[in-house]
Amino acid sequence: MALPLPAGLTPPEIAFLCEMELVTVIPRQRLEGLDLLGGRTPPLIPPQRANLPLWLALLLKRQRRANILPPPWLHPSALLTILELEHAGQSAPPRLPPAPPGSLPISPPFLPSSTAAAPRDALPYHWLELGEILLEAASDDFEDPDGVRRLMRDLREVRMASMRKGVGMFDAQGGFNMTGFGGMEVGEGRAFIGGVIDGLRKIGAARERSGDGDQDDQDNGFPSTADDYDDDEMDM
Amino acid sequence: MSYYDIDAILTDAQKVPCTFELTVPGLGFLDGNMGGDMKKDSKVELPIWLGEMLSLSEMMNTDSLVTLGIPSALGPRVSNALKADPKTVDLRALASHFYNLATRLLEMYVEDINKAEEQEMIRVLTETFKARAAVIADQANNVRGTLGEGADFLRGLDENERQLFRAAHDSAKSVRAWVAEGMKKK
Repeated sequence: MALPLPAGLTPPEIAFLCEMELVTVIPRQRLEGLDLLGGRTPPLIPPQRANLPLWLALLLKRQRRANILPPPWLHPSALLTILELEHAGQSAPPRLPPAPPGSLPISPPFLPSSTAAAPRDALPYHWLELGEILLEAASDDFEDPDGVRRLMRDLREVRMASMRKGVGMFDAQGGFNMTGFGGMEVGEGRAFIGGVIDGLRKIGAARERSGDGDQDDQDNGFPSTADDYDDDEMDM
Repeated sequence: MSYYDIDAILTDAQKVPCTFELTVPGLGFLDGNMGGDMKKDSKVELPIWLGEMLSLSEMMNTDSLVTLGIPSALGPRVSNALKADPKTVDLRALASHFYNLATRLLEMYVEDINKAEEQEMIRVLTETFKARAAVIADQANNVRGTLGEGADFLRGLDENERQLFRAAHDSAKSVRAWVAEGMKKK
């Protein structure tokens, strides 16, 4: 590969994507609505809360023009509940907040999953990035930043462990179910999980050639044809 | 496997036992017998790239020059050890490109492996790879493991597994670096 960058996104890139999430701010100064590419931002009138993209909120926070209201799931008690859930159900997938009924947008940047109105018992897609960014830029807006930081770390450990545990079960459904994992976690696991699948595929490729394709698809779980392999091997 | 893939080249340089079916004049140097002849039925360890070429015979409509055997790294002893406990076998000592060697041999026609054995071998390899991959992921995320009791295991990783370890370790590291960078800015 000529490109020095690994496949997938690097952590700073994932964090950049996360800055499109909406967060709730409490403005300290008036500000008219701004015409941005993503639409007009709500006008800021001091005591009223407003939802802004994270990057704008961070900018205002840095200039001391606004306070950021951490989303409910970043509260220590909510994190503790989620952590217990993760501990209890070993294989219980980390959960995404449900989409509001009847709403057209269903994926993270457009779902208000990190505003003050977000559900408190589900982690959104960008939970890790958002949590870290807020803890770093707006730790004075948290009641207990150190506690939150500690719980975030625990939660991350538990979830990474459950991801790693999944490696042993690769064969069953022939893929790896990453539903519910956050952006940063997917980015972190990508190289390893991709490598394992690739290694298994190479070992399985020999089996294909030996002729008993049908039977093998069942226990290896990677149904594929000889043509696929040729294509794959070209760019390795 | 690409033409420029260094791992593919190194895989091909690993040796397989070959048995000569014919007496070849002047080929004794392969066996350390300078200037002599290669006797029929003599066994020599040849690199895969050479053994593969010599064992191909259909094109010339003759008996093949050599028959390939199974290298000891893929023999029944190793496969039994892998079945017993995949995590304690030092694959690197057996072959530095263990999995590549195995898949390469399975691609070729090897005299003394039949279909059932072949299937069994692939099954054992798949199970081994999965079991070891789980441990690799644990080790890569756990700094202390690499220095303490994990060191022996890591030394026994084959080249594929090393790359896997590296990938897992690097991505964990880059996330840690990103978090640390954010803290420093503050």
